[in-house]
Amino acid sequence: MKINGTYLVHLPQERAYALLQDPEILAKCMPGCDRLDKVAENEYEMKMKMAIASMSGLFDGRVKLADQQPPSSFRLLVEGKGKIGFLKGDGLLKIETGDETTNVIYEGDVQIGGTMAAVGQRLLDTTSKMMIKRFFDKFAEVTRDLKTPGPVPAQLQD
Amino acid sequence: MATTTITRTEPLVGKRIRRREDPRLITGTATYVEDIQIPGMHHACILRSPHAAARIRSITTQPALDMPGVVAVFTGADTQGIGPVPCGASLPGLRVPYHRILATDRVYFVGHAVAVVVATDKYIARDAIDLIEVDYEPLPAVADPEKAIAPGAPPVHPEWPDNVAFTFHQEGGDIDKAFAEADVVVKQRITSQRLIPTAMETRGVVAEWRPGEKSLTLRSSTQIPHLMRTLVAQMLSIPENRLRVITPEVGGGFGSKFNVYAEEALMGFIAMKIHKPVKWIESRRENFLCTIHGRGHVDYFELAAKRDGTMLGLKLKLIQDLGAYHQLLTPLIPTFSVLMMPGLYKFANIQADITGVFTNCVPTDAYRGAGRPEATHGIERMVDILAAELKMDPAEIRFKNFVQPDEFPYATPTGLSYDSGNYAAPLEKALAAVDYPHLLAEQAKAREAGKLMGIGISSYGEICAVGPSPAMPAGGWESATVKIEPTGKVTIMTGISPHGQGEETTFAQIAADELGVDIDDVLVIHGDTTVVQYGIGTFGSRGTAVGGSALYFALQDLKAKIKKFGAMLLDSDDILFANGQCICNKTGKSVTIAEVAGASYRAMKLPPDTEPGMVATRFWEPPNFTFPFGAHIVVTEVDKDTGDIAIKRYVAVDDIGKIINPLIVDGQIHGGVAQGLGQALWEQAVYDDNGQLITGELMDYALPRASRMPWIESSHTVTPSPVNPLGVKGVGEAGTIGCSPAVVNSVVNALQPFGIRHIDMPLTSEKIWKLVNAGGQA
Repeated sequence: MKINGTYLVHLPQERAYALLQDPEILAKCMPGCDRLDKVAENEYEMKMKMAIASMSGLFDGRVKLADQQPPSSFRLLVEGKGKIGFLKGDGLLKIETGDETTNVIYEGDVQIGGTMAAVGQRLLDTTSKMMIKRFFDKFAEVTRDLKTPGPVPAQLQD
Repeated sequence: MATTTITRTEPLVGKRIRRREDPRLITGTATYVEDIQIPGMHHACILRSPHAAARIRSITTQPALDMPGVVAVFTGADTQGIGPVPCGASLPGLRVPYHRILATDRVYFVGHAVAVVVATDKYIARDAIDLIEVDYEPLPAVADPEKAIAPGAPPVHPEWPDNVAFTFHQEGGDIDKAFAEADVVVKQRITSQRLIPTAMETRGVVAEWRPGEKSLTLRSSTQIPHLMRTLVAQMLSIPENRLRVITPEVGGGFGSKFNVYAEEALMGFIAMKIHKPVKWIESRRENFLCTIHGRGHVDYFELAAKRDGTMLGLKLKLIQDLGAYHQLLTPLIPTFSVLMMPGLYKFANIQADITGVFTNCVPTDAYRGAGRPEATHGIERMVDILAAELKMDPAEIRFKNFVQPDEFPYATPTGLSYDSGNYAAPLEKALAAVDYPHLLAEQAKAREAGKLMGIGISSYGEICAVGPSPAMPAGGWESATVKIEPTGKVTIMTGISPHGQGEETTFAQIAADELGVDIDDVLVIHGDTTVVQYGIGTFGSRGTAVGGSALYFALQDLKAKIKKFGAMLLDSDDILFANGQCICNKTGKSVTIAEVAGASYRAMKLPPDTEPGMVATRFWEPPNFTFPFGAHIVVTEVDKDTGDIAIKRYVAVDDIGKIINPLIVDGQIHGGVAQGLGQALWEQAVYDDNGQLITGELMDYALPRASRMPWIESSHTVTPSPVNPLGVKGVGEAGTIGCSPAVVNSVVNALQPFGIRHIDMPLTSEKIWKLVNAGGQA
């Protein structure tokens, strides 16, 4: 399934580009993400909980950042598998500058398989959109005070 | 001479007798596979592939084995010695992939069985499935048959990179001449989408191994107990006479249980390994993923005709989506479509080319109609498209081209011999029922008022009473044994395996009439290979036409024997047998059938050249198929704003030969029409581009519901079949075959103002709304 959309973030372009690839920020913002461990440069292992239709389950996943073109674009590749099936996502994130704000334009492809596909396909569109919205809402919240480089404040590390 | 007058009681054949099966079915006292409990019984659950195509790198079963209650886990490595899931079809050059009961190094479709857990409890077995780790390397998959034969498509089976399982060519007459002489040629691509048969009862198997007796009993929800015994015995390499297959109550099949699946041999294997009975019951999701689907055609038709509407010839390029493997008859199903492609029409020239295509999907196979609905949908759509092209009335063009009543037996260009028919009769009756001229006037008025009203006709034919043995892979005859017990009770053992067709009633009607006994004295037994002599099974509308004919002849044998004993007991050679009595025409003295039967078993004295007992067995070979036919007329109204289709009238006139039980026939027509409507309007198995079945449950797969069923005005014309002694033709599939083209013809007719000439099924509201709102552009 193709997905695409645009989100406005209140960060300068370069800062947005950096934070969108910061594993701590990603771990915090990805809905259901339990942990994100670096396994190689730009590659992370992830545990996440996902729910679609009447099912939910734990997923073991892998997140990869690729084709980085600072400060304007990179690819985000996500793969996960669990008892209720598997998912694969491949997205291009374009970060376009405004003055004080930046547009994050994403377009990508999501595939799901197994039981999740057999019984959850009709909800994939809304579920994906909802998860992406939750990601960006959380991203906005987490990065509100991070307009300039620096360590992530302790209170945000729960 | 005959002085005794006997008033025959009214015959039961032809009467609306309530099904004797129903009380147990509607009171929850019937025994299905799931109801069987055996002491010590274990439960199996199967792990299935989530990928449509993948290499299996490794399978780790230990965590599942460690779970308390788990007794065994088996994978493809353990079951290599078991024979493949059988394909009974043979066609020249057919490629048959080796279909193991569990995948070994590769999976070929979502749902492909990978491992099986056996546990003391079904919930433990299910939970343990989640503990098996399979390391898959996903591979590219292809789910669409046309994409599968396009260059560059991923190969389903690497050894056959073109994904073509077979091609099949058939020609009759002179097709080139027909097209050269034509004034008009109409062409259309027509699809018959993949459908999920969705029997109310899913499949299930209970296997019980008795090591002392070295015997295996399989209880399976199947349409073919004897064929299953022969085939599973071969798969498991056990002597056939030590395998007993019992079909308890079977909750519908529609062709999906006319098969031998991996699970039957797999459960037998497990029972023999663990020396415990084992039960496996298919879940509904498994049923959607792993039990055969039906249809799956992309057809390219070309119809040549004269300007006066005379049809000259038909070309068909048929692309059959086979799925990843051949189940029992998978590759044969589209050849039935070719046989049926001329429909009821008298043109002598045909040409058909089938391409059977592998896809990464569950196999297709026989589903109610099995190849004939696809063909009928094609020819009946093409006739309407031709009528529209020539601006002729769809009824008129049909009358013009029908095979005529004096032309039977009629040899078709596809090599069949139609047994008997009067094809105009049901159409005339249906047109009268709807008052066609009045209906056309009503439609004109509705159109003026801006309403989208449609009238659709289908004049269908079909091939039933399947069939003469030379046309079948495993014999097409059927058997019956009739025993009159020493007390006069009548026991019938039939080789067919009814699972909703009602032969426990219709066969009892036939026997009660022939023997003159009370219907309650007749018991019909089926579906146990140790009790019943060999049989072929129930499919292809054959139960009554073939199995009932075997019964008829066995009854004649018994009647002759009864008369011999009657003559001996009454000491007379002038004997009449009627109403369950032998009567001496001279003295008027009589003996009852019970007295005769008792004497035959006591055997104090025997008539000359006569054995004791009162048992007769017949194996009857039909000389030909039968060819039922009929006309369905559907009146629809399409809602412009929602795309919703309302069926205003449904008139079905079916000629199925002689009718044994009109009530059961009504039920068959209603059920058949429901499934035809399902295909026409709602149902569709959808695989995405990666081979994931995305209509994987009843939330996403739209079955017909009672609330959407129209009132079906069902009636008949009766043209007896000369092929069998009962004159019957078969009714199991008629409703389905006649329905879908009538519905689509009606909706296309309703949308004529938009210039629409064809719409592929299912006619969902969304599809219709888009067409209407785009002014006819799809």
